[in-house]
Amino acid sequence: MHRYAFLLLFASLVLTACDSDDTADEAEPLAVETVNSIEADPATIPPGGGRPVATGRYTLYSLEDGRVVLSSSEADPAVRERDSVSTAWDVGFRSTTVIFNGGSSGPGNAAATILAEAFDDVTEAPATLLADGNNQCPEIQGFGGVRPGPPLAVCTGSGNGWYNYDPAANVVSPRAGRTIVFRTADEQLFGKMRILSYYQGNPSAPTSDNASRYYTFEYVLQPDGSREF
Amino acid sequence: MRCLLLSLLLCGVTLAQDTGPFKPVQLDTTITYDAVVVTATRTAKELVDVAVPTAVVTAEQIQAQGATRLGQVLETIPGLQLFDDHGSGLQVQGFSPDYTLILIDGEPIIGRTAGTLDLDRVTVQGVERVEVVRGPSSSLYGSEALAGVVNIITRQARQGVRGSFGAQTGSFGRSDLTGEVEAATDRFGARLLLNRFGSNGYDLTPDVFGQTAPSFSDYTVDFRGTAELNNRVDFSLGVRGTREDQSNFFALTEGGERTTFDSEGKRLDWSVHPEMNVQLSNTYRLNTTLYAAGYETETRYRRQSDGDLYFSDDFDQRLLRAESQLNAVWSPKHLSIVGGGVTQERLLGDRYGTGDDAPQASQFFAFAQHEWLASKFFEANVSARIDAHDDYDTRFSPKFAVLVRPMDRLRLRASVGSGFKAPAFRQLYLSFTNAVAGYSVFGVTRIQDGIERLDREGQINEVYLPLDLFGSIEAETSVAYNAGFTFEPFSWMSLRTDVFYNDVENLIETQPVAQKSNGAFVFGYFNIAKLYTRGIETEVTTTPFSGLTAAVGYQFLQARDRDIVRQIEEGIIFGRDLNGRDSRLSLSDYGGLFGRSPHSATMRLTYQPARQDLTVSLRGRWRSRYGYRDLDGNAFANRDDEFVPAYAIFDMTASKRFALTGTTSLDVQAGVDNIFDITRPTLVPSMPGRRLFAGLRVSL
Repeated sequence: MHRYAFLLLFASLVLTACDSDDTADEAEPLAVETVNSIEADPATIPPGGGRPVATGRYTLYSLEDGRVVLSSSEADPAVRERDSVSTAWDVGFRSTTVIFNGGSSGPGNAAATILAEAFDDVTEAPATLLADGNNQCPEIQGFGGVRPGPPLAVCTGSGNGWYNYDPAANVVSPRAGRTIVFRTADEQLFGKMRILSYYQGNPSAPTSDNASRYYTFEYVLQPDGSREF
Repeated sequence: MRCLLLSLLLCGVTLAQDTGPFKPVQLDTTITYDAVVVTATRTAKELVDVAVPTAVVTAEQIQAQGATRLGQVLETIPGLQLFDDHGSGLQVQGFSPDYTLILIDGEPIIGRTAGTLDLDRVTVQGVERVEVVRGPSSSLYGSEALAGVVNIITRQARQGVRGSFGAQTGSFGRSDLTGEVEAATDRFGARLLLNRFGSNGYDLTPDVFGQTAPSFSDYTVDFRGTAELNNRVDFSLGVRGTREDQSNFFALTEGGERTTFDSEGKRLDWSVHPEMNVQLSNTYRLNTTLYAAGYETETRYRRQSDGDLYFSDDFDQRLLRAESQLNAVWSPKHLSIVGGGVTQERLLGDRYGTGDDAPQASQFFAFAQHEWLASKFFEANVSARIDAHDDYDTRFSPKFAVLVRPMDRLRLRASVGSGFKAPAFRQLYLSFTNAVAGYSVFGVTRIQDGIERLDREGQINEVYLPLDLFGSIEAETSVAYNAGFTFEPFSWMSLRTDVFYNDVENLIETQPVAQKSNGAFVFGYFNIAKLYTRGIETEVTTTPFSGLTAAVGYQFLQARDRDIVRQIEEGIIFGRDLNGRDSRLSLSDYGGLFGRSPHSATMRLTYQPARQDLTVSLRGRWRSRYGYRDLDGNAFANRDDEFVPAYAIFDMTASKRFALTGTTSLDVQAGVDNIFDITRPTLVPSMPGRRLFAGLRVSL
């Protein structure tokens, strides 16, 4: 009896594996994980007043484990050294800069690209994902010359990557229809993410009075190693 | 100036009669009163014969409205909008206030904050008329005349000795007191005006500490004098001074601690404007003008708890100009002007430098215009100007305009011209670090030194551009096309329609040029953006029966950034709805530049029954919604909560004149502005809600 049941289960697995269309239809949609307001080196006003200061440190996050590996508020150099050279983290945030653990940013194998597609419409990772350091980012045009953007997988600068900066309102808004497709650092799983807010508490209409450099984002991770999600 | 121009016009007409072939068209003037305007061509010309879109508001209309400040007058003109940004600025053909030149008797009012010249600074007492030319006039006026020109023509003293006193008071403690004395003979004239304008301010957001608009008092002294030495030479002198004191209070939360402050602002602006006209011969007339103007502001924030000074900012701008204009009437068909001059400007201020660091700049300019009145059917006007400045590249601005009269009741206008706006002071000379947010901004002439200094202080993390690439900037430039017609199908009806298209390049924007060690950026100014504005403007004026005039105006406007249009067409621009769903946007979702309503309308109803000395004026203006912020990261307004909702404002004024004795009269007036009490507390802070007012004027 047990043996038959096992066979039946095996057969059904083989059958379903043969017909990938059916699998897709029947598979549970992948869960969308939401990460709320993790800090990314928020600026602080030193005791006694004066201009705000930031530390220049990244917050490192593991998309595989769904946890902060190293917070930008962690100041101990030994801890920072240990964690940043590990492959435990996948994505890092500092101010408006987003890095992935690979290439020029870390020892992992993470890579990413940003697509001009709605999050829900991205169902497959593109063939080419870039490690940090290998991208060509838009040049910033000035008179008589241009400056090359840092060659991160997610380009920096307003309107170049994941955000737009409104100088009049002094507000950073995540760009609608920009989906970051990534590969994780360690297990090299594919997934997609989009950033929802740069302000603490994910306010619906942030102003420059809201505390900034707090990322709220959502992502989907395909645990089976395939490119589809 | 007006004397000269009028006599020039008369001169032309006289010649015309002498030589025969050309006679000015005599229009039915039931509506189209034969107003003479000077702004569009720098010569006197009948309004109906001007080949570029021009609007005029007369003193009579200003009085019927009960208007006291320039903004109130301009917002009644179809197609013009007021725009709140560091004061009440003027939007013409979809351009920000920076792009419209504002003149008094042909010379510029100076002093702009973030590009806005606050229209509430300017009283309309003592004004003969206000002329507004839409479309670029840089070919005659140079910088800033890119979107249009507003020219306030002051009134000259009338014959005899006269005096008047007027007072208006109303809601929000707003009051206006005006005293005027004037005396004139055939050859000499003088008029002195004193005006006090004040308000208690108002508070649209009572839960926020501090008033929406500050309380203030504003004093203006204005003198206009004329002297005719002989038949050939006359002089005029204009002197104006304005002083304003305002006070408000506000609170800041810093490091979790709330502190309250008093804020005080002082403003002093003045101008001296002597002018000489010499009739050199029957052909030539020479006009020479000197102009000096100053604009000073003082801002102070003091902690309420101990009175300690928390913030202070001083600004001091001076302008000196000498210019000459030679008018030549070659024949009844050919009129020319040539002119040129020099401008010197100096700035002192906490953000610009003092002493040897104070920025100074010189500018030379020359312009010429030729008018060819070919026939009753056709006129052409070509003009051009060169502006050479110390700190930006030389500009050449030509313009060409034609007027065609296929029949007596129809006039067709078309013009193409280029406009430019010089880099603003901040874009050239600013040297500023925000103490709270930590970023720095440098003008083009300051950025190299500024970054090197920050670098020596160890404040620079990374410089994005090689330093030797800084240091040059171009003016913002446009090419504009205007075309339209005025048609009078009946003696009691006039229809005007104009279409416009402005193609603008080299718009100056800030870009980060370096990153500081605190993570904040250093910003510089660069010629980057391109945009266009286009639209249709139309107005119908009718006099259905004697004493009643009704006018309705409408404007359709598109003001768009070319980069955004391109990206939308490429399909890479999305919006995010309130449920967080992203979807691709099309061009129809693009709300255009912030602050621009695609649709706007005005109406005006004036009832003035004959012989009753009564005037009733009803005015309305409506604007469709306009974008003011971006929440979904596409840099423009597309979602409902990114727009200011549409609104309509109606005003009404009734005035009655009583003749007391022979020359003495009393005007009594009452009115309501914003009858339906519309407010947009945080979005349109300049709209205080319903305002009742009453006024009196005694004329001797």
